[in-house]
Amino acid sequence: MSKKKYCEKFSVPEHLTVPLGACIPAPVKEQRAMITGNWRTERPVIDHEKCNLCLNCFIFCPDSSWHLDEEEEKMVWNADFCKGCLLCVAECDVDCLDAENELNFKGGVVRLDKPY
Amino acid sequence: MAKEMFLAGCSAAAYGAALARVEVITSFPIRPYTGIMMELSKLVANGELDAEFVHGEGEHAQVAIAYGAAAAGARAYTGSSGVGVTYAMECYSPASGGRLPCQMAIADRALDPPGDFGSEHTDVMSCRDQGWIMGWAETPQEVLDNTIIYYRIGEDPRVLLPQFCCQDGYFVSHIPGKVVMPEQSQVDEFLPPYKHPHALDPTKPISHGPQIYPDQGPAINLQRAQAFLDTPAVIEEVIEDFNKIFGRDYKPFLDEYRTDDADFVFFIQGGHARTARFAVNHLREKGVKAGMVKLRFVRPFPTEAVAETLSKFKAVGCVENSTSYGGAMKGGNLIHEVRSALYDVDNPPAVTSFMSGLGGEVVSLEEFYSMAKVLAEAAKTGKVEQYVYWVGFDKGV
Repeated sequence: MSKKKYCEKFSVPEHLTVPLGACIPAPVKEQRAMITGNWRTERPVIDHEKCNLCLNCFIFCPDSSWHLDEEEEKMVWNADFCKGCLLCVAECDVDCLDAENELNFKGGVVRLDKPY
Repeated sequence: MAKEMFLAGCSAAAYGAALARVEVITSFPIRPYTGIMMELSKLVANGELDAEFVHGEGEHAQVAIAYGAAAAGARAYTGSSGVGVTYAMECYSPASGGRLPCQMAIADRALDPPGDFGSEHTDVMSCRDQGWIMGWAETPQEVLDNTIIYYRIGEDPRVLLPQFCCQDGYFVSHIPGKVVMPEQSQVDEFLPPYKHPHALDPTKPISHGPQIYPDQGPAINLQRAQAFLDTPAVIEEVIEDFNKIFGRDYKPFLDEYRTDDADFVFFIQGGHARTARFAVNHLREKGVKAGMVKLRFVRPFPTEAVAETLSKFKAVGCVENSTSYGGAMKGGNLIHEVRSALYDVDNPPAVTSFMSGLGGEVVSLEEFYSMAKVLAEAAKTGKVEQYVYWVGFDKGV
């Protein structure tokens, strides 16, 4: 009978190796391996004059894309991770946030270094 | 003198888990596997076993808890039957992809409809592509031994995969048999404490199951495929070691019964192999050259061993205890694997399959005799008339 060995060892190129079980060091701040800003079609734009720093946007943002810069005393938006869900716009108590189309901005949406 | 007990499969599985010193047990009731958790909860309540006993809110939660426990560095044990097995389906791939070797004890139960308490392998066979090690036991003794053996295989650094440790519901899980109880010192020698290369540790924070780029997806799948390529050698090593320490005589993949000069064999897994042994004896008394080959692992499927062993015979009948509706052979699952394994063999045997024992029906001696008639004819002509026979419904069986 012919006896076939099916395969013994796959060869994986260096750039495609992944850690065992896909476990990676926990991100200290941002998971740069998965930028989600390019999912966005609209973005929240803040009017700092109207903002009373109530932190509603920070509380309701599901992606932690708003934080308070305590020195400058203003809210800072993270373009790399905001998916444009606009919950912050709906939850803002003083109407200082507006939704604007991505195409109105130079450069448009955030692009990945390597497009899919 | 080793201690002997009279145990049903459920109790045997529980004692096996206790001897393996499981640290986290997670339960949810469903017949017939519930007996395992009843026995284990007693052992924990009586202070005979030091383990966390967590009651999940369903089977999905059960496997998720076992996943978390294994990630935290504990030897985790859970289990289910029938629709409970399929309800937890989402959690199987994360556990194998995350390379977390928890164990799921199974006592098979037919899937709905209708509500059927009988045994049938379709519940776990439906999960055979989820990256778990998988195999069936024939007796309560084999259930206890497999429980310990599977942990050793799954926790090997070359493997690191979760395991389905299966027994037929009722036929094995509820019918007692004689079980030789291993000494705790033997089990401790065979099965070292569980150590995972990246168990959760607050001083070295890591992410389990993070989002990845699509081009990393194939690489992760390949990693699991590689683990399964490496597993057969580990199984052979582990079984040899087990036989040496416990004085048993297990074959790693295929258990052959009276096959020396057999014309045809029943290819079978699980509890019905016991009936097959009696059928083979009776057929031999009548001069029919029948034999039996019992499959001990479905995953990893022992392709080379099956090709080498089954090519010795003129005809092979896969006794199917699970369904693959609309599959290539229109019947069960084993025949797909067997025919694939035999494709490159010179002069392959005639291979057919028999749907029997579905929904908890007994595969009776009479059914084996009618299968033998079909197989004897196939051995004579070298051809099979049909790929699948529904025993009791089809012509000729």
